Amino acid sequence: MLDGLCIKLKMQGRSPSSRFSRALTFGVALLLCAASAHAEGTPIPHGTLELIAENPWIEKRELAAGQKFDVGLRFQLEKGWHIYWINPGDSGEPPRVEWRLPSGLSAGAIEWPTPRRLENSSSIVDYGYEDVILLIVPMHADPIVAAEQSAHIGADVKLLVCSHDMCIPGKAQLSLTLPIASHVSAQYSRYADLFAATRRSFPRPAPTNWRFSVADVNDSFVLTANLGRQITQAIFFPLAESQIENAAPQNPQPLATGFRLTLRKSDRLLKPIQRLQGVLVLSADQAYLIDAPLSKSGAVRSSYSIGIHPAQSLKEGSQQ
Amino acid sequence: MKRSTLYSILLYPMLVALLLCTAPPLMSAAKVGDAAPEFTGAASNGKTLHLSDYRGKYVVLEWHNNGCPFVGKHYNSGNMQRLQKQWTDRGVVWFTILSSAPGKQGYVTASEENDYLAKMQAAPTAALLDPTGEIGHLYDAKTSPQMVVINPNGVVIYDGAIDDKATTDLNDVPGATNYVSRALEQAMAGKQVETPATRPYGCSVKYGDSTH
Repeated sequence: MLDGLCIKLKMQGRSPSSRFSRALTFGVALLLCAASAHAEGTPIPHGTLELIAENPWIEKRELAAGQKFDVGLRFQLEKGWHIYWINPGDSGEPPRVEWRLPSGLSAGAIEWPTPRRLENSSSIVDYGYEDVILLIVPMHADPIVAAEQSAHIGADVKLLVCSHDMCIPGKAQLSLTLPIASHVSAQYSRYADLFAATRRSFPRPAPTNWRFSVADVNDSFVLTANLGRQITQAIFFPLAESQIENAAPQNPQPLATGFRLTLRKSDRLLKPIQRLQGVLVLSADQAYLIDAPLSKSGAVRSSYSIGIHPAQSLKEGSQQ
Repeated sequence: MKRSTLYSILLYPMLVALLLCTAPPLMSAAKVGDAAPEFTGAASNGKTLHLSDYRGKYVVLEWHNNGCPFVGKHYNSGNMQRLQKQWTDRGVVWFTILSSAPGKQGYVTASEENDYLAKMQAAPTAALLDPTGEIGHLYDAKTSPQMVVINPNGVVIYDGAIDDKATTDLNDVPGATNYVSRALEQAMAGKQVETPATRPYGCSVKYGDSTH
Protein backbone atom coordinates (compact mmCIF):
# COMPACT_ATOMS: atom_id res chain seq x y z
CA MET A 1 0.00 0.00 0.00
CA LEU A 2 2.77 2.39 0.87
CA ASP A 3 4.43 1.58 -2.43
CA GLY A 4 1.34 2.71 -4.30
CA LEU A 5 1.24 5.90 -2.29
CA CYS A 6 4.91 6.38 -3.00
CA ILE A 7 4.36 6.29 -6.76
CA LYS A 8 1.32 8.56 -6.48
CA LEU A 9 3.23 11.16 -4.51
CA LYS A 10 6.06 11.14 -6.99
CA MET A 11 3.64 11.78 -9.81
CA GLN A 12 2.21 14.73 -7.92
CA GLY A 13 5.75 15.95 -7.51
CA ARG A 14 5.98 16.28 -11.27
CA SER A 15 2.83 18.41 -11.59
CA PRO A 16 3.34 22.19 -11.97
CA SER A 17 3.50 23.84 -8.59
CA SER A 18 5.74 26.18 -6.72
CA ARG A 19 9.30 25.17 -6.11
CA PHE A 20 8.65 25.06 -2.38
CA SER A 21 5.65 22.77 -2.49
CA ARG A 22 7.44 20.56 -5.02
CA ALA A 23 10.36 20.23 -2.67
CA LEU A 24 7.97 19.57 0.21
CA THR A 25 6.06 16.92 -1.71
CA PHE A 26 9.32 15.32 -2.79
CA GLY A 27 10.50 15.31 0.81
CA VAL A 28 7.30 13.66 2.01
CA ALA A 29 7.52 11.16 -0.84
CA LEU A 30 11.09 10.32 0.07
CA LEU A 31 10.16 9.82 3.71
CA LEU A 32 7.25 7.58 2.81
CA CYS A 33 9.35 5.60 0.33
CA ALA A 34 12.00 5.17 2.97
CA ALA A 35 9.27 4.09 5.38
CA SER A 36 7.92 1.60 2.85
CA ALA A 37 11.38 0.09 2.48
CA HIS A 38 11.25 -0.74 6.18
CA ALA A 39 7.67 -1.96 6.25
CA GLU A 40 6.91 -5.66 6.40
CA GLY A 41 6.73 -5.88 2.64
CA THR A 42 4.17 -6.11 -0.11
CA PRO A 43 1.37 -8.63 0.38
CA ILE A 44 1.46 -11.74 -1.78
CA PRO A 45 -0.86 -14.74 -1.39
CA HIS A 46 -0.26 -16.15 2.12
CA GLY A 47 2.80 -14.04 2.75
CA THR A 48 4.76 -10.92 2.01
CA LEU A 49 7.53 -10.00 -0.40
CA GLU A 50 10.08 -7.25 -0.05
CA LEU A 51 12.90 -5.95 -2.24
CA ILE A 52 15.87 -5.34 0.04
CA ALA A 53 19.55 -4.49 -0.30
CA GLU A 54 22.40 -5.90 1.70
CA ASN A 55 23.56 -2.40 2.61
CA PRO A 56 21.31 0.66 2.91
CA TRP A 57 23.66 2.60 0.58
CA ILE A 58 26.00 2.01 -2.37
CA GLU A 59 29.57 3.22 -2.12
CA LYS A 60 30.54 5.58 -4.92
CA ARG A 61 34.13 4.35 -4.96
CA GLU A 62 33.06 0.72 -5.37
CA LEU A 63 30.62 1.59 -8.15
CA ALA A 64 33.30 3.59 -9.96
CA ALA A 65 35.58 0.55 -9.71
CA GLY A 66 32.90 -1.56 -11.38
CA GLN A 67 32.05 -3.61 -8.30
CA LYS A 68 28.70 -5.35 -8.08
CA PHE A 69 26.30 -4.96 -5.19
CA ASP A 70 23.63 -7.39 -4.01
CA VAL A 71 19.90 -6.93 -3.64
CA GLY A 72 17.43 -9.60 -2.65
CA LEU A 73 13.81 -10.66 -2.79
CA ARG A 74 12.75 -11.53 0.74
CA PHE A 75 9.74 -13.84 0.87
CA GLN A 76 7.95 -14.53 4.13
CA LEU A 77 5.37 -17.27 3.83
CA GLU A 78 2.70 -18.54 6.18
CA LYS A 79 3.14 -22.06 7.50
CA GLY A 80 2.08 -24.69 4.98
CA TRP A 81 2.78 -22.53 1.91
CA HIS A 82 5.76 -22.65 -0.42
CA ILE A 83 7.38 -21.19 -3.51
CA TYR A 84 9.57 -23.04 -6.00
CA TRP A 85 13.22 -23.65 -6.92
CA ILE A 86 14.59 -23.01 -10.44
CA ASN A 87 13.56 -26.60 -11.20
CA PRO A 88 10.18 -26.77 -9.47
CA GLY A 89 9.92 -30.54 -9.77
CA ASP A 90 6.63 -32.17 -10.73
CA SER A 91 4.33 -29.16 -10.36
CA GLY A 92 4.49 -25.42 -9.72
CA GLU A 93 6.67 -22.69 -11.20
CA PRO A 94 9.57 -20.62 -9.85
CA PRO A 95 9.12 -16.87 -9.28
CA ARG A 96 9.95 -14.71 -12.31
CA VAL A 97 11.32 -11.18 -12.05
CA GLU A 98 11.36 -8.33 -14.53
CA TRP A 99 13.68 -5.58 -13.43
CA ARG A 100 13.11 -1.87 -13.97
CA LEU A 101 16.57 -0.36 -13.76
CA PRO A 102 18.18 2.97 -14.52
CA SER A 103 20.59 2.96 -17.46
CA GLY A 104 23.97 1.63 -16.45
CA LEU A 105 22.57 -0.98 -14.07
CA SER A 106 21.95 -4.59 -15.02
CA ALA A 107 20.66 -7.47 -12.93
CA GLY A 108 22.39 -10.83 -12.81
CA ALA A 109 20.65 -14.17 -12.41
CA ILE A 110 18.95 -15.23 -9.18
CA GLU A 111 21.28 -17.10 -6.85
CA TRP A 112 19.12 -20.00 -5.72
CA PRO A 113 19.59 -21.36 -2.19
CA THR A 114 19.51 -25.11 -1.61
CA PRO A 115 15.89 -26.23 -2.07
CA ARG A 116 13.79 -28.59 0.02
CA ARG A 117 11.99 -31.68 -1.18
CA LEU A 118 8.25 -31.02 -0.91
CA GLU A 119 6.29 -34.25 -0.97
CA ASN A 120 2.89 -33.56 -2.40
CA SER A 121 1.70 -37.14 -2.66
CA SER A 122 3.34 -40.53 -3.12
CA SER A 123 3.85 -39.84 -6.83
CA ILE A 124 4.37 -36.06 -6.88
CA VAL A 125 7.42 -34.30 -5.44
CA ASP A 126 8.27 -30.63 -5.86
CA TYR A 127 11.40 -28.62 -5.02
CA GLY A 128 11.06 -25.31 -3.24
CA TYR A 129 11.17 -23.18 -0.15
CA GLU A 130 9.05 -22.53 2.92
CA ASP A 131 9.05 -19.87 5.68
CA VAL A 132 11.58 -17.04 5.05
CA ILE A 133 13.53 -17.16 1.79
CA LEU A 134 15.97 -14.67 0.33
CA LEU A 135 16.70 -14.83 -3.38
CA ILE A 136 19.88 -12.81 -3.89
CA VAL A 137 20.43 -11.03 -7.20
CA PRO A 138 23.73 -9.31 -8.04
CA MET A 139 23.50 -5.87 -9.65
CA HIS A 140 26.24 -4.99 -12.07
CA ALA A 141 26.88 -1.29 -12.56
CA ASP A 142 28.56 0.68 -15.28
CA PRO A 143 31.02 3.07 -13.54
CA ILE A 144 28.98 6.04 -14.89
CA VAL A 145 26.28 5.17 -12.33
CA ALA A 146 28.68 6.42 -9.62
CA ALA A 147 27.91 10.00 -10.75
CA GLU A 148 24.26 9.63 -9.68
CA GLN A 149 22.84 10.56 -6.26
CA SER A 150 20.84 7.37 -5.91
CA ALA A 151 19.79 4.27 -7.74
CA HIS A 152 16.09 3.49 -8.10
CA ILE A 153 15.54 -0.23 -8.54
CA GLY A 154 12.18 -1.69 -9.47
CA ALA A 155 11.12 -5.31 -9.74
CA ASP A 156 7.92 -6.79 -11.14
CA VAL A 157 7.58 -10.25 -9.69
CA LYS A 158 5.20 -12.95 -10.85
CA LEU A 159 4.99 -15.94 -8.58
CA LEU A 160 3.01 -18.96 -7.61
CA VAL A 161 2.41 -19.68 -3.92
CA CYS A 162 1.13 -23.17 -3.18
CA SER A 163 0.11 -25.41 -0.32
CA HIS A 164 -0.41 -29.13 -0.83
CA ASP A 165 -4.07 -28.37 -1.47
CA MET A 166 -4.02 -25.35 -3.75
CA CYS A 167 -1.98 -22.85 -5.74
CA ILE A 168 -2.50 -19.10 -5.92
CA PRO A 169 -0.74 -16.91 -8.47
CA GLY A 170 0.50 -13.55 -7.26
CA LYS A 171 2.09 -10.40 -8.62
CA ALA A 172 4.06 -7.74 -6.82
CA GLN A 173 5.52 -4.42 -7.93
CA LEU A 174 8.48 -3.66 -5.73
CA SER A 175 10.85 -0.74 -5.55
CA LEU A 176 13.91 0.31 -3.65
CA THR A 177 15.90 3.53 -3.68
CA LEU A 178 19.52 3.27 -2.63
CA PRO A 179 21.55 6.41 -2.00
CA ILE A 180 24.97 6.51 -3.65
CA ALA A 181 27.35 7.91 -1.07
CA SER A 182 31.03 8.81 -1.21
CA HIS A 183 31.67 8.72 2.53
CA VAL A 184 29.76 6.02 4.29
CA SER A 185 29.97 6.03 8.03
CA ALA A 186 29.45 2.71 9.74
CA GLN A 187 25.72 2.26 9.41
CA TYR A 188 23.47 -0.46 10.72
CA SER A 189 22.27 -2.82 8.03
CA ARG A 190 19.33 -4.80 9.32
CA TYR A 191 19.65 -7.35 6.53
CA ALA A 192 23.38 -8.09 6.68
CA ASP A 193 22.78 -11.22 8.78
CA LEU A 194 20.09 -12.53 6.43
CA PHE A 195 22.35 -12.08 3.39
CA ALA A 196 25.24 -13.75 5.22
CA ALA A 197 23.09 -16.68 6.39
CA THR A 198 21.64 -17.12 2.91
CA ARG A 199 25.11 -17.21 1.35
CA ARG A 200 26.18 -19.82 3.88
CA SER A 201 23.23 -21.97 2.77
CA PHE A 202 24.18 -21.81 -0.93
CA PRO A 203 25.33 -25.03 -2.48
CA ARG A 204 29.13 -24.83 -2.74
CA PRO A 205 31.32 -26.15 -5.52
CA ALA A 206 32.23 -29.72 -4.62
CA PRO A 207 35.85 -30.14 -3.39
CA THR A 208 38.17 -30.83 -6.32
CA ASN A 209 39.33 -34.17 -4.93
CA TRP A 210 35.80 -35.60 -4.92
CA ARG A 211 34.97 -37.84 -7.83
CA PHE A 212 31.55 -38.39 -9.36
CA SER A 213 30.48 -40.72 -12.09
CA VAL A 214 27.13 -41.47 -13.64
CA ALA A 215 26.23 -44.70 -15.38
CA ASP A 216 23.17 -45.24 -17.52
CA VAL A 217 21.76 -48.53 -16.23
CA ASN A 218 18.42 -49.59 -17.72
CA ASP A 219 15.72 -47.34 -16.26
CA SER A 220 18.06 -45.45 -13.90
CA PHE A 221 21.10 -43.23 -13.67
CA VAL A 222 23.49 -44.58 -11.07
CA LEU A 223 25.47 -41.78 -9.44
CA THR A 224 28.61 -42.99 -7.67
CA ALA A 225 30.49 -40.56 -5.45
CA ASN A 226 33.99 -40.95 -4.08
CA LEU A 227 34.50 -38.48 -1.24
CA GLY A 228 37.19 -40.38 0.63
CA ARG A 229 34.84 -41.31 3.47
CA GLN A 230 31.67 -43.28 3.96
CA ILE A 231 28.41 -41.37 3.45
CA THR A 232 25.07 -42.72 4.61
CA GLN A 233 22.68 -39.88 3.71
CA ALA A 234 22.46 -38.05 0.38
CA ILE A 235 19.76 -36.45 -1.74
CA PHE A 236 20.24 -35.25 -5.30
CA PHE A 237 18.23 -32.32 -6.69
CA PRO A 238 18.38 -32.25 -10.51
CA LEU A 239 18.87 -28.84 -12.12
CA ALA A 240 17.10 -29.86 -15.32
CA GLU A 241 13.45 -30.83 -15.26
CA SER A 242 12.22 -34.17 -16.61
CA GLN A 243 15.57 -35.97 -16.26
CA ILE A 244 14.77 -38.08 -13.23
CA GLU A 245 11.55 -39.23 -11.58
CA ASN A 246 11.31 -36.75 -8.71
CA ALA A 247 9.13 -38.95 -6.48
CA ALA A 248 11.22 -42.11 -6.85
CA PRO A 249 13.29 -43.08 -3.79
CA GLN A 250 17.00 -42.47 -4.47
CA ASN A 251 18.08 -45.39 -2.26
CA PRO A 252 21.40 -44.05 -0.94
CA GLN A 253 23.85 -46.92 -0.62
CA PRO A 254 26.89 -46.28 1.59
CA LEU A 255 30.26 -47.24 0.08
CA ALA A 256 33.62 -47.43 1.86
CA THR A 257 34.72 -44.14 0.30
CA GLY A 258 31.42 -42.49 -0.55
CA PHE A 259 27.96 -43.53 -1.63
CA ARG A 260 25.82 -44.51 -4.58
CA LEU A 261 22.41 -43.14 -5.58
CA THR A 262 19.99 -44.80 -7.96
CA LEU A 263 18.03 -42.10 -9.78
CA ARG A 264 15.08 -43.40 -11.73
CA LYS A 265 14.85 -41.84 -15.18
CA SER A 266 11.83 -39.69 -15.91
CA ASP A 267 9.26 -41.28 -18.20
CA ARG A 268 9.43 -38.04 -20.16
CA LEU A 269 13.15 -38.33 -20.82
CA LEU A 270 13.21 -39.53 -24.40
CA LYS A 271 16.70 -38.50 -25.51
CA PRO A 272 20.00 -39.53 -23.96
CA ILE A 273 21.56 -36.89 -21.70
CA GLN A 274 25.22 -35.90 -21.68
CA ARG A 275 25.58 -34.93 -18.02
CA LEU A 276 23.78 -34.79 -14.74
CA GLN A 277 23.86 -31.38 -13.06
CA GLY A 278 22.35 -30.47 -9.75
CA VAL A 279 22.67 -30.01 -6.05
CA LEU A 280 23.78 -32.79 -3.77
CA VAL A 281 22.71 -32.45 -0.14
CA LEU A 282 24.58 -34.50 2.45
CA SER A 283 23.27 -32.74 5.58
CA ALA A 284 21.49 -29.54 6.59
CA ASP A 285 24.62 -27.43 6.08
CA GLN A 286 26.38 -29.48 3.42
CA ALA A 287 25.11 -28.86 -0.10
CA TYR A 288 27.28 -29.07 -3.20
CA LEU A 289 26.92 -28.26 -6.87
CA ILE A 290 27.79 -31.19 -9.02
CA ASP A 291 28.16 -31.59 -12.75
CA ALA A 292 28.95 -35.16 -13.70
CA PRO A 293 29.24 -36.37 -17.29
CA LEU A 294 27.62 -39.66 -18.16
CA SER A 295 30.03 -42.47 -18.79
CA LYS A 296 29.80 -43.91 -22.30
CA SER A 297 27.41 -46.81 -22.40
CA GLY A 298 29.28 -50.06 -22.42
CA ALA A 299 32.18 -48.56 -20.50
CA VAL A 300 33.86 -50.80 -17.97
CA ARG A 301 32.10 -50.13 -14.70
CA SER A 302 35.26 -49.72 -12.64
CA SER A 303 36.88 -47.19 -14.94
CA TYR A 304 34.37 -44.39 -15.15
CA SER A 305 35.70 -42.18 -12.41
CA ILE A 306 35.59 -38.70 -13.87
CA GLY A 307 36.29 -35.42 -12.13
CA ILE A 308 33.56 -32.84 -11.82
CA HIS A 309 33.65 -29.65 -13.79
CA PRO A 310 33.77 -26.20 -12.24
CA ALA A 311 30.40 -25.64 -10.68
CA GLN A 312 30.37 -22.05 -11.94
CA SER A 313 29.20 -23.40 -15.27
CA LEU A 314 25.85 -24.37 -13.74
CA LYS A 315 23.19 -22.24 -15.29
CA GLU A 316 21.74 -19.82 -12.73
CA GLY A 317 22.91 -22.12 -9.99
CA SER A 318 26.23 -20.42 -9.42
CA GLN A 319 27.43 -18.88 -6.25
CA GLN A 320 30.12 -16.38 -5.73
CA MET B 1 17.16 -78.83 9.33
CA LYS B 2 13.45 -79.26 9.67
CA ARG B 3 11.37 -78.91 6.58
CA SER B 4 9.28 -76.08 8.06
CA THR B 5 12.40 -74.09 8.96
CA LEU B 6 13.66 -74.46 5.42
CA TYR B 7 10.31 -73.24 4.14
CA SER B 8 10.34 -70.20 6.35
CA ILE B 9 13.93 -69.38 5.34
CA LEU B 10 12.90 -69.44 1.71
CA LEU B 11 9.42 -68.07 2.15
CA TYR B 12 10.20 -64.95 4.14
CA PRO B 13 12.66 -63.41 1.70
CA MET B 14 10.27 -64.29 -1.11
CA LEU B 15 7.39 -62.59 0.68
CA VAL B 16 9.52 -59.54 1.38
CA ALA B 17 10.64 -59.44 -2.25
CA LEU B 18 7.05 -59.76 -3.39
CA LEU B 19 5.97 -56.91 -1.11
CA LEU B 20 8.80 -54.72 -2.34
CA CYS B 21 7.98 -55.43 -5.95
CA THR B 22 4.32 -54.64 -5.54
CA ALA B 23 4.91 -51.64 -3.29
CA PRO B 24 3.16 -48.53 -4.54
CA PRO B 25 3.39 -45.86 -5.74
CA LEU B 26 5.86 -45.89 -8.59
CA MET B 27 4.21 -48.37 -10.84
CA SER B 28 5.26 -48.19 -14.42
CA ALA B 29 2.87 -45.72 -15.96
CA ALA B 30 2.04 -45.03 -19.58
CA LYS B 31 5.03 -43.81 -21.55
CA VAL B 32 5.18 -42.25 -24.97
CA GLY B 33 5.46 -45.09 -27.47
CA ASP B 34 3.72 -47.58 -25.16
CA ALA B 35 0.20 -48.91 -25.42
CA ALA B 36 -2.21 -46.61 -23.59
CA PRO B 37 -3.46 -48.44 -20.47
CA GLU B 38 -7.08 -49.50 -20.68
CA PHE B 39 -9.52 -47.85 -18.30
CA THR B 40 -13.19 -47.71 -17.52
CA GLY B 41 -14.47 -44.29 -16.60
CA ALA B 42 -17.67 -42.98 -15.04
CA ALA B 43 -18.72 -39.97 -17.08
CA SER B 44 -20.55 -37.03 -15.51
CA ASN B 45 -23.40 -37.69 -17.99
CA GLY B 46 -24.01 -41.05 -16.29
CA LYS B 47 -22.43 -43.25 -18.96
CA THR B 48 -19.68 -45.77 -18.35
CA LEU B 49 -16.93 -45.53 -20.95
CA HIS B 50 -14.09 -47.83 -21.92
CA LEU B 51 -10.99 -46.49 -23.64
CA SER B 52 -10.86 -49.60 -25.85
CA ASP B 53 -14.24 -48.67 -27.36
CA TYR B 54 -12.48 -45.78 -29.08
CA ARG B 55 -9.75 -47.78 -30.81
CA GLY B 56 -9.44 -46.43 -34.35
CA LYS B 57 -9.77 -42.82 -33.22
CA TYR B 58 -7.39 -40.28 -31.77
CA VAL B 59 -8.08 -39.76 -28.07
CA VAL B 60 -7.04 -36.73 -25.99
CA LEU B 61 -6.92 -36.96 -22.18
CA GLU B 62 -7.06 -33.65 -20.30
CA TRP B 63 -6.47 -33.61 -16.52
CA HIS B 64 -8.76 -31.06 -14.91
CA ASN B 65 -9.14 -29.22 -11.60
CA ASN B 66 -11.48 -26.23 -11.73
CA GLY B 67 -9.68 -24.47 -8.84
CA CYS B 68 -6.22 -24.59 -10.41
CA PRO B 69 -5.08 -21.23 -11.83
CA PHE B 70 -3.19 -22.94 -14.68
CA VAL B 71 -6.44 -24.63 -15.71
CA GLY B 72 -8.27 -21.34 -15.20
CA LYS B 73 -5.96 -19.69 -17.74
CA HIS B 74 -7.13 -22.09 -20.45
CA TYR B 75 -10.85 -22.05 -19.55
CA ASN B 76 -11.23 -18.34 -18.80
CA SER B 77 -9.50 -17.47 -22.08
CA GLY B 78 -11.74 -19.96 -23.91
CA ASN B 79 -8.66 -21.78 -25.18
CA MET B 80 -9.57 -25.22 -23.83
CA GLN B 81 -13.13 -25.04 -25.12
CA ARG B 82 -11.82 -23.93 -28.54
CA LEU B 83 -9.43 -26.89 -28.66
CA GLN B 84 -12.15 -29.31 -27.57
CA LYS B 85 -14.49 -28.04 -30.30
CA GLN B 86 -11.80 -27.88 -32.98
CA TRP B 87 -10.59 -31.44 -32.44
CA THR B 88 -13.88 -33.21 -31.65
CA ASP B 89 -15.20 -31.64 -34.89
CA ARG B 90 -12.41 -33.53 -36.63
CA GLY B 91 -13.39 -36.85 -35.07
CA VAL B 92 -11.04 -36.77 -32.09
CA VAL B 93 -12.38 -38.17 -28.81
CA TRP B 94 -11.70 -35.82 -25.89
CA PHE B 95 -11.91 -36.94 -22.25
CA THR B 96 -11.63 -34.41 -19.47
CA ILE B 97 -10.49 -36.37 -16.40
CA LEU B 98 -11.04 -35.24 -12.80
CA SER B 99 -8.70 -37.09 -10.43
CA SER B 100 -9.17 -34.88 -7.33
CA ALA B 101 -10.11 -36.93 -4.27
CA PRO B 102 -13.24 -36.03 -2.22
CA GLY B 103 -12.50 -33.00 -0.03
CA LYS B 104 -9.62 -31.88 -2.26
CA GLN B 105 -9.51 -28.92 -4.61
CA GLY B 106 -11.19 -29.75 -7.92
CA TYR B 107 -13.38 -32.57 -6.57
CA VAL B 108 -16.92 -32.26 -7.91
CA THR B 109 -20.01 -34.42 -8.12
CA ALA B 110 -21.46 -35.41 -11.49
CA SER B 111 -24.12 -32.69 -11.41
CA GLU B 112 -21.60 -30.03 -10.35
CA GLU B 113 -19.39 -31.05 -13.27
CA ASN B 114 -22.33 -30.93 -15.69
CA ASP B 115 -23.15 -27.41 -14.45
CA TYR B 116 -19.51 -26.40 -14.94
CA LEU B 117 -19.39 -27.82 -18.48
CA ALA B 118 -22.56 -25.92 -19.37
CA LYS B 119 -21.42 -22.68 -17.77
CA MET B 120 -18.00 -22.79 -19.42
CA GLN B 121 -19.48 -24.01 -22.73
CA ALA B 122 -16.92 -26.79 -22.62
CA ALA B 123 -17.22 -29.43 -25.32
CA PRO B 124 -15.31 -32.59 -24.40
CA THR B 125 -16.67 -35.95 -25.56
CA ALA B 126 -17.11 -36.70 -21.85
CA ALA B 127 -15.88 -35.65 -18.41
CA LEU B 128 -14.69 -38.69 -16.44
CA LEU B 129 -14.95 -38.65 -12.65
CA ASP B 130 -11.87 -40.34 -11.16
CA PRO B 131 -12.03 -39.56 -7.39
CA THR B 132 -9.98 -42.67 -6.54
CA GLY B 133 -7.18 -41.43 -8.81
CA GLU B 134 -7.12 -44.77 -10.61
CA ILE B 135 -6.95 -43.36 -14.13
CA GLY B 136 -4.61 -40.59 -12.95
CA HIS B 137 -2.14 -43.11 -11.52
CA LEU B 138 -2.41 -45.36 -14.60
CA TYR B 139 -1.12 -42.46 -16.68
CA ASP B 140 1.09 -41.05 -13.89
CA ALA B 141 -0.70 -37.72 -14.24
CA LYS B 142 1.26 -35.18 -12.18
CA THR B 143 -0.57 -31.96 -12.92
CA SER B 144 -3.65 -30.27 -14.21
CA PRO B 145 -3.78 -29.42 -17.07
CA GLN B 146 -1.61 -32.39 -18.12
CA MET B 147 -2.42 -33.66 -21.61
CA VAL B 148 -2.05 -37.07 -23.24
CA VAL B 149 -2.67 -37.91 -26.92
CA ILE B 150 -3.37 -41.51 -27.99
CA ASN B 151 -3.30 -42.54 -31.65
CA PRO B 152 -5.87 -44.80 -33.43
CA ASN B 153 -3.68 -47.84 -32.71
CA GLY B 154 -3.97 -47.16 -28.98
CA VAL B 155 -0.38 -45.92 -28.58
CA VAL B 156 0.55 -42.85 -26.49
CA ILE B 157 2.04 -40.29 -28.89
CA TYR B 158 2.16 -37.24 -26.62
CA ASP B 159 2.38 -36.76 -22.85
CA GLY B 160 3.02 -33.46 -21.12
CA ALA B 161 2.07 -29.80 -21.03
CA ILE B 162 -0.73 -28.25 -23.02
CA ASP B 163 1.63 -25.60 -24.43
CA ASP B 164 5.04 -24.01 -24.00
CA LYS B 165 3.98 -21.15 -21.67
CA ALA B 166 4.10 -22.43 -18.11
CA THR B 167 2.22 -19.53 -16.56
CA THR B 168 -1.18 -18.60 -15.16
CA ASP B 169 -1.40 -15.43 -17.26
CA LEU B 170 -4.26 -15.27 -19.78
CA ASN B 171 -2.12 -13.02 -22.00
CA ASP B 172 0.26 -15.93 -22.59
CA VAL B 173 -2.36 -18.02 -24.41
CA PRO B 174 -2.29 -16.34 -27.87
CA GLY B 175 1.48 -16.56 -28.44
CA ALA B 176 1.91 -20.10 -27.11
CA THR B 177 2.82 -23.17 -29.14
CA ASN B 178 0.13 -25.75 -28.40
CA TYR B 179 1.78 -29.17 -28.08
CA VAL B 180 -1.54 -31.09 -28.29
CA SER B 181 -2.58 -29.50 -31.58
CA ARG B 182 0.94 -29.91 -32.95
CA ALA B 183 0.99 -33.61 -32.03
CA LEU B 184 -2.44 -34.22 -33.58
CA GLU B 185 -1.62 -32.28 -36.76
CA GLN B 186 1.71 -34.03 -37.25
CA ALA B 187 0.33 -37.50 -36.51
CA MET B 188 -2.69 -36.98 -38.82
CA ALA B 189 -0.30 -35.87 -41.58
CA GLY B 190 1.57 -39.16 -41.14
CA LYS B 191 4.59 -37.43 -39.61
CA GLN B 192 6.58 -38.17 -36.48
CA VAL B 193 5.44 -36.10 -33.50
CA GLU B 194 8.26 -33.60 -33.13
CA THR B 195 7.82 -33.01 -29.37
CA PRO B 196 6.34 -36.21 -27.90
CA ALA B 197 6.97 -35.40 -24.20
CA THR B 198 7.32 -32.24 -22.12
CA ARG B 199 7.15 -31.34 -18.45
CA PRO B 200 3.42 -31.11 -17.73
CA TYR B 201 3.22 -27.73 -16.02
CA GLY B 202 0.44 -26.85 -13.60
CA CYS B 203 -0.95 -27.68 -10.16
CA SER B 204 -0.23 -31.08 -8.65
CA VAL B 205 -3.08 -33.56 -9.10
CA LYS B 206 -4.94 -33.68 -5.77
CA TYR B 207 -4.86 -37.43 -5.19
CA GLY B 208 -6.36 -39.06 -2.13
CA ASP B 209 -2.91 -39.88 -0.74
CA SER B 210 -1.75 -36.24 -0.81
CA THR B 211 0.11 -35.18 2.31
CA HIS B 212 -1.19 -32.33 4.43
